[in-house]
Amino acid sequence: MISTELLTRSELFAGLTSDQIERVAALGIEVEYQSDEVIVREGEASDEIYVVREGMVEVLVSEGAIPDVPGPPQMRSIVHLGPGQTFGEMALVDRGARSATIRCVKDGTRLTILRREELLALCDSDPRIGYPLMRNVASDLSFKLRHRNLRVRLEGKGGAP
Amino acid sequence: MIYKVSYVVVGGSHPGAILNQDTPPDVGEEIQLNGERFEVVEVIELLPPRDDLAYLHATCRPVENAP
Repeated sequence: MISTELLTRSELFAGLTSDQIERVAALGIEVEYQSDEVIVREGEASDEIYVVREGMVEVLVSEGAIPDVPGPPQMRSIVHLGPGQTFGEMALVDRGARSATIRCVKDGTRLTILRREELLALCDSDPRIGYPLMRNVASDLSFKLRHRNLRVRLEGKGGAP
Repeated sequence: MIYKVSYVVVGGSHPGAILNQDTPPDVGEEIQLNGERFEVVEVIELLPPRDDLAYLHATCRPVENAP
């Protein structure tokens, strides 16, 4: 059984009671990664959502990947995600392939993994969990988009390339 | 209250970060993102608070190492 203490600090569980968080946590497994380990790869099939409990991961997207051009694509780091953040939530709602590669950048990074089908089944069976959880997923995606927009605006002021 | 902070770095190559923390960042404060040092130059409320979460944006710049 996963400790819910750190999960309560994630936006994914905002508005849920302790009992409800425990029901979600019961579906999860905990894993630990070391620096430079790849957690998910862009383009792969996906059926899991991840919560960063401790540590830091890096989100990378490929640039200029053209199928007929040999060699690996250039990877661009677009953001680091620390404690409380989630990734893989896009696949939770659209069933698409991974849109980015996620790499661990801090030794001892701990994640909770929730399988898509199990989580959706719980949300379907109990809307008191499902509604706030899906609202939180939407809110997190919105926050990431706002972060990206701010970064684009600030690039003109000498921000990251 | 938990502060969900969007850190955007102006200058340098760090991509910025999103993380939850117990205290809000302050202008002039020095922070570390994965071992690199940055100075917070701006903090704004990005969204109204919801439940126990506050949503902030912080603009940072790299701290120059002393010679």
